Amino acid sequence: MALIDIPPDLTFVALAAVTIIGAILALQARELIYGAVALAISFIGVAGFFVSLDAPYLAMLQIAIYVGAIVVLILFTIMLVRREVGEEAKDSPQSGEGSVGLWLAGLLSLAISGVAALAGPNMPSTLPSGSLPVSELGPTLATQYPIPLIILALLMSATLIGALVLAKVER
Amino acid sequence: MVTLVSYIIVSAALLGIGVYGLSVKRNAMRILFAIEIIVNAANLNFAAFTRYLNPPQVSGQVIVFYSIAAAAMEAAVGLALILVAFRLNNTIDVRKLNKLKG
Repeated sequence: MALIDIPPDLTFVALAAVTIIGAILALQARELIYGAVALAISFIGVAGFFVSLDAPYLAMLQIAIYVGAIVVLILFTIMLVRREVGEEAKDSPQSGEGSVGLWLAGLLSLAISGVAALAGPNMPSTLPSGSLPVSELGPTLATQYPIPLIILALLMSATLIGALVLAKVER
Repeated sequence: MVTLVSYIIVSAALLGIGVYGLSVKRNAMRILFAIEIIVNAANLNFAAFTRYLNPPQVSGQVIVFYSIAAAAMEAAVGLALILVAFRLNNTIDVRKLNKLKG
């Protein structure tokens, strides 16, 4: 199946490291631009997870929309917004604020991981046999979920007009 | 051994990082980064759960499809809002954008 025989555990650990370290760097990098690049790397890690979960179409979407569109949009906005380099230094949290956020985030993820680990024996541990063909996604979208698709299209055009109206410069 | 629990743990870690960014950061762009990270954690969970169903179903991937599209729209509007806030106030520090505070 695969060209190179990499053990799945190693792939998982590498992808997890790329995703989580990228996410941390996106928030902690000193310059906003480096943060945006780290965010793109984290998104690519999530795309790798999608590939390992038999969802190559989602991986393609993830790279095309998140890395290709959202991160580029963020980079554009950073270049429009940033005035001076020194402005970034003020992003560090005030004393007390940072530790409260850290405790909140740590407790939340520990609680979710703990519940998942406790429920682990009842969850499927091995991948079910059989795979998801990519060709099934299109018919499912068109036959089972046609109304959300139409609403999504309307919402998208409304968003486009809204963003244009918001960002327009009055002359 | 990669199980469903491993995916949930990675997703929970991403959620924790995102919540930390939401609650601590002052720069509006960083808050947008944090929101995107949280959306990614949710997407990862949907893809993992739908793959581990027996037999595997495609419906979770459909939800991720909608979620990715919604996240793109949210980013576009959010960035436009940040641009307007910057133009009006000359700052995107959310602690200073307090004109509506009573």
